Amino acid sequence: MKFEMITGRTIRQGEFVEHKHSAEYSEETSSCHINPVDMMFLGIMQGDTILLKSVCDEVVMTAFEDSNLKRGSVFVPYGPYCNRIIPNETHGTGMPDFKSSVVAITPTERKVASVYDLFKDIGGREL
Amino acid sequence: MIKKNVICSFCGCLCDDLSITIEDGKITGVDNGCALANAKFLGKERLLKPVIREGDSIKETEYNTAIEKAADILKDAERPLFFGWSGTQGEAQAKGVHLCMLLGGVIDNTSSLCHGPSILAIQEVGHPGCTLGQVKNRADLIIYWGCNPLEGHPRHMSRYTTYADGFFLKNAFRERKLIVVDVRKTMSSDVADEFIQIEPGGDYAVLSALRAIVRGEEKIIPESVSGVSKSQLKRVADMCKEARFGALFFGLGLTMSKNKYKNIRNAVELTDELSRHTKFTISAMRGHWNVYGANEVFTWMTGYPYAIDFARGIPFYNPGETTAAEILYRKECDALMVVSSDPAAHMPKKCVEHMADIPVIQIDPHKNCTSFFTDVQIPVAITGIEASGTAYRMDGVPLRTKKIIDADFLTDTEVISRIYERILEAKADV
Repeated sequence: MKFEMITGRTIRQGEFVEHKHSAEYSEETSSCHINPVDMMFLGIMQGDTILLKSVCDEVVMTAFEDSNLKRGSVFVPYGPYCNRIIPNETHGTGMPDFKSSVVAITPTERKVASVYDLFKDIGGREL
Repeated sequence: MIKKNVICSFCGCLCDDLSITIEDGKITGVDNGCALANAKFLGKERLLKPVIREGDSIKETEYNTAIEKAADILKDAERPLFFGWSGTQGEAQAKGVHLCMLLGGVIDNTSSLCHGPSILAIQEVGHPGCTLGQVKNRADLIIYWGCNPLEGHPRHMSRYTTYADGFFLKNAFRERKLIVVDVRKTMSSDVADEFIQIEPGGDYAVLSALRAIVRGEEKIIPESVSGVSKSQLKRVADMCKEARFGALFFGLGLTMSKNKYKNIRNAVELTDELSRHTKFTISAMRGHWNVYGANEVFTWMTGYPYAIDFARGIPFYNPGETTAAEILYRKECDALMVVSSDPAAHMPKKCVEHMADIPVIQIDPHKNCTSFFTDVQIPVAITGIEASGTAYRMDGVPLRTKKIIDADFLTDTEVISRIYERILEAKADV
């Protein structure tokens, strides 16, 4: 199923924004909020892992039931997980489409990567 | 010891009424702060010494060695990129511009990834704004459009709008009306008198519809606009026209979604339209505590607020070409200096990939995702806690943050000044 991914700040993301190597930051920014009806159609429960694919890459996140969203939209707290799949196109403005990327979501058995693992394959080295 | 009236250097609200308890030179308590302020002031983890990467290992070093290494990287670069600046003092921002000018590099601040589009719109149609004091004392109608202040700026409502009594509003919670516009329900929309839930990407159409209704052209509006009923749009337009003083605050929901700066232009023009009926203002909800300062300092030094390229020997500004995301994606820069920011976490992966191929210098007290790519990281005193410094609040009011505890760290300004001097010396030797 295809969704429009919206990203944004949350209190918890803000609390741990200066502690990006913490488990709490990883947990918060890898949670994907989905309308419960959409979750039913995807055949997933809260806490299940899901694979989000965009035109540029894919990333594993954890599903989080959220009835505040309309069907067809998902919300992800801003951070390295959503940026893995947000295209770099800025339409000549300098601003990527942080709030209007199309993603395909499917259930997966794969685990959520650590923050470090997200960067390891593109040349990141542990500090 | 309790220090009163401390300014919080986390978000653009720059709340200046915090009380900080200090015992044995350490912060042990925060009063009046939000959850974000508590996390900032009580945070324990930080880098204690400068670090340099040698092969696959990292080694701690002294300030002089790290500064020498940073200067060596920069003086050898043909097109260095200087990025960040929203989480540092105004004095360091000014030094950064001097450094970039000296090297003919590109300097960009994080507004290119937050309210850059707002600035583009303001350059087209102006900014009918006001200070937060005016809003607090006068506004009887507040609109939050594309933002969720209770999570992004947790005390904005209690200090300046819904819950803040003002000179002309003795019982603000009862006397102020609150409208929230968003694509999803949020903590902020839960306390609104009117919540407009629009379809993603529908902001421009809804703003246009409101402008038409305010102009008296409601007959051309269809029964539903981007998921919002015509009756609700008419009700909201009436609320706006009937207000004595309306204040519209907008967030990244407008700048980051479809139509980008055109959304803001339309919102400014709605404000203009409403000001033919009553007093109306519009302001951006600036995120980082001194991102507004970065725009101010860059503008008074170069004429431009962000994305400035000195390769021609004069400042050149063309967002979409000279913005950091493009410079990195095109693999254009051959060195990167990041000051108080984390582009690896906050930029698309395609932009981050180039960081692995070039030397990266980081001036930041905290390890973050950019640290995975850094060749030298220099920890600095935290402005507003371990050092004083100038910051601009989200409404453009400059405030002086205080040093409340002692620490053995250099400030951002001192580190950048030393790098500048080293490069100047090296250039003189050639």
